[in-house]
Amino acid sequence: MKSRSHITFVSILLIVFMANSIAYAAPVRKKLAVEAGRIITIAGKDIKNGVILIEDGTIKAVGTDVEIPWDAFVIEAKDKVVMPGFVMAHTSDGLDRANENMPEVPFISTFDSIDPISTFFEDSLRDGVVAMLVLPGNNTLLGGTGTIVKPYGRTVEAMLIKRYAGLKISLQPSQNTSRMGHMQRFRRYVSDLKDYLEEYEQRKADAEEEKKPFDEDIDVTKQSMVDLLNKKLTAFIYCDRAADVPKAIEIQKTTELNTVLVLGPDCYKAADLIAKSKLPVVLDSELIIWETNEQTNEEEMKVIPMIFHKAGVKFAFQTDTSQYGRRYLWYQAATAVKYGMKREEALKSITLYPAQFIGVDNRLGSIETGKEATMIFLTGDPLDAQSWVDQVMIAGEIVYEKAKDERLKKLLEPPLVMQEPKDTD
Amino acid sequence: MRIYVILLTFLLLVSAFVAPGRAEVTAVKAGRILTISGEPITDGVILIEDGKIAEIGTGIEIPEDATVIDAGKSVVMPGLVDASAAAPVRGDLNEQSSEITPTFRISDALDPQSKALKRVVQTGVTTLFVSPGLQNVIGGMGVVVKPTGKIPQQMIVKDEAALRIVMDLDSTQGNRIPRREPAINFYYRRPGTRMAIIWMLRKSFFDARQQADSGQTEDPNLAVLSAALKDEIPIHVNARRAIVIRAALKVADEYGLKLILQECTEGYKVAGQLAERKIPVVLGPFYYYPGNTGQYREGRKVNWNNAGILAEAGVKVALSSGGQSGAIDILTAATFAVRHGMDRDEALKAITITPAEILGVADRVGSLEKGKDADIVILSGDPLNVTTRVEKVILNGKTVYQQTSGETS
Repeated sequence: MKSRSHITFVSILLIVFMANSIAYAAPVRKKLAVEAGRIITIAGKDIKNGVILIEDGTIKAVGTDVEIPWDAFVIEAKDKVVMPGFVMAHTSDGLDRANENMPEVPFISTFDSIDPISTFFEDSLRDGVVAMLVLPGNNTLLGGTGTIVKPYGRTVEAMLIKRYAGLKISLQPSQNTSRMGHMQRFRRYVSDLKDYLEEYEQRKADAEEEKKPFDEDIDVTKQSMVDLLNKKLTAFIYCDRAADVPKAIEIQKTTELNTVLVLGPDCYKAADLIAKSKLPVVLDSELIIWETNEQTNEEEMKVIPMIFHKAGVKFAFQTDTSQYGRRYLWYQAATAVKYGMKREEALKSITLYPAQFIGVDNRLGSIETGKEATMIFLTGDPLDAQSWVDQVMIAGEIVYEKAKDERLKKLLEPPLVMQEPKDTD
Repeated sequence: MRIYVILLTFLLLVSAFVAPGRAEVTAVKAGRILTISGEPITDGVILIEDGKIAEIGTGIEIPEDATVIDAGKSVVMPGLVDASAAAPVRGDLNEQSSEITPTFRISDALDPQSKALKRVVQTGVTTLFVSPGLQNVIGGMGVVVKPTGKIPQQMIVKDEAALRIVMDLDSTQGNRIPRREPAINFYYRRPGTRMAIIWMLRKSFFDARQQADSGQTEDPNLAVLSAALKDEIPIHVNARRAIVIRAALKVADEYGLKLILQECTEGYKVAGQLAERKIPVVLGPFYYYPGNTGQYREGRKVNWNNAGILAEAGVKVALSSGGQSGAIDILTAATFAVRHGMDRDEALKAITITPAEILGVADRVGSLEKGKDADIVILSGDPLNVTTRVEKVILNGKTVYQQTSGETS
């Protein structure tokens, strides 16, 4: 009887112990050490045969002489190139619909429209993108606010990095309006908004004078524009043509907004103007355009990133899905390198710079002590078309593995059953 | 003594006559030459005489008066062949008055000043096949051209190179039966369905065979079709989906036609059949996102490794721009084909010698061999690397494109 109770006690102990050990073997490991063949840190020089030490999803140390603690889980990646994941500073993909059909809708948010099931996010993760600012499209004057997400998670909440980031202003006139009317509509909105704010402040001051309680909130439909004027939000101003650029600069100067320019391919003609304004830029996904020289009738190729690079403009690349090359951020960077852009600078344009533009460079964009352990493991050089993203780590957690990517396998392997009729007759 | 003097004078005279008449010789020196037809040559020389390759290999003596193009460490490969290029034509490519226009020749509409030509040459393409548009069931005859020359005749490598047949739904685009006017109308176009496309095709070949059997050759349209039936003119069929490819094979069996498939987006599903029948394919650029395939772009079920699977099965595969002017250049298409699983050498062949063979111009272009046209592309590095750029393009022995620093500023 006594021995039996002993056994029960021991077994209960065992169960408790095992349950505990299960609880501690959660997917996110506390301490990680990545042994990488090459680390492209972006922050500094590349490190050969380096170690990245990670604790609680944050990078604790990077280097060749980093001691691996005895209790760290070691990820061997000696045949891999490890670099910070790519960041997309501007996209309108992955949305149900990108444009509202009314011109002044600064109060709407892409948060409500992001479709986590969209293949865009799945592809982005597969291609090494770890963060993106999803903004409304380019057809709406005041298009609404954006959301920064990682392309991983079943719900928008799970994907979320920042709920309220960036406001899209498009200078491309929407249907049935002229550029004159479009600009005037913007100026009027801002002047009305300033009047509203003045009156609001007046009411607030009056209430204080009369020692009455003042509980009036700012109109929700105007809140995001007020935040824009107070620099709590960054304006992403879309310029379709070079002629829109001076207007964007005028808006930035008169209203003193935090501004990022999102450019159409034609805007390279205003490269010097943009360089002078020192505004950050998101380039169009079309990097090479052709023009006919009117004097010689020759076809001239314009390599847009090189024009901005030479002018001294700091820019980030974006992608689109119309061509299979342009889908990839690395391809955009590689195209720029092809025509003479410095490799380091091109890599920054898909990592650190976009992270800065969208205000997440404290967490993402480079492999440095103190930043989030978000990185990609590549089978080779990032600018080589034959390299693949082997693994993606977001905040210390491996969220993508090529070996387990069933959809990719289906896209590359022949169909399993090839049922072919012996005779076509 | 006298005989010597006579001989000497004779020799002098001969040399005096020969020297000015001698063709200009150009020599291309390169660290690496990808001949495509054979093994790559390290530190080789290509001698060009009269627009043709006179000599290729290592240890070739360069004549003193030769113009030397030193490509240094760059990589040299044959000019690329695009077996389905955007047509350098002004105006519409689709004849609206009829659905069956086999006698129409795209060569009649060629525009040597076309912008498309000037652009395409800078991507390394030196031979293109262009054909009428996709909105006719039998659109007419295509032509193999080079992006050079002041008049169309100078561009043409091979006229009436192939008959273009479209079995995809493009040929039904916009067609509908007018509801108010009587159906007999100039603008009334058939077909409206895939059934009708195949019916029209069958009818045309049936009529052509009947006419050929009767010995009368009254209708020039049918004359072209019977030439195609006799395998005198190759047939290019646009077929994207597997069911369309199978339908094309069926019609081909009925009439004993020898086909070349264009686009062939779902070719990977019927790779075995195509290999068995030795049907070559010219693949267009592939798209993955359904949203970008356009209303009439079929073949949504894409396998990224279509080219690789077909080549692996033993099908002759050419990679092309699919007749789209905005498409990615075919060198990049080959790079991505390799990324997705195609064999490296196969991919290089798929943009050079294979399309040349499919078009029946392999005796002139597609590889660097003695006697072939001197169409040469000089690249800054490995051809299958995105960061590699086209430095120089030589067409018929003449430099037609030279990378300048000016274009990037």
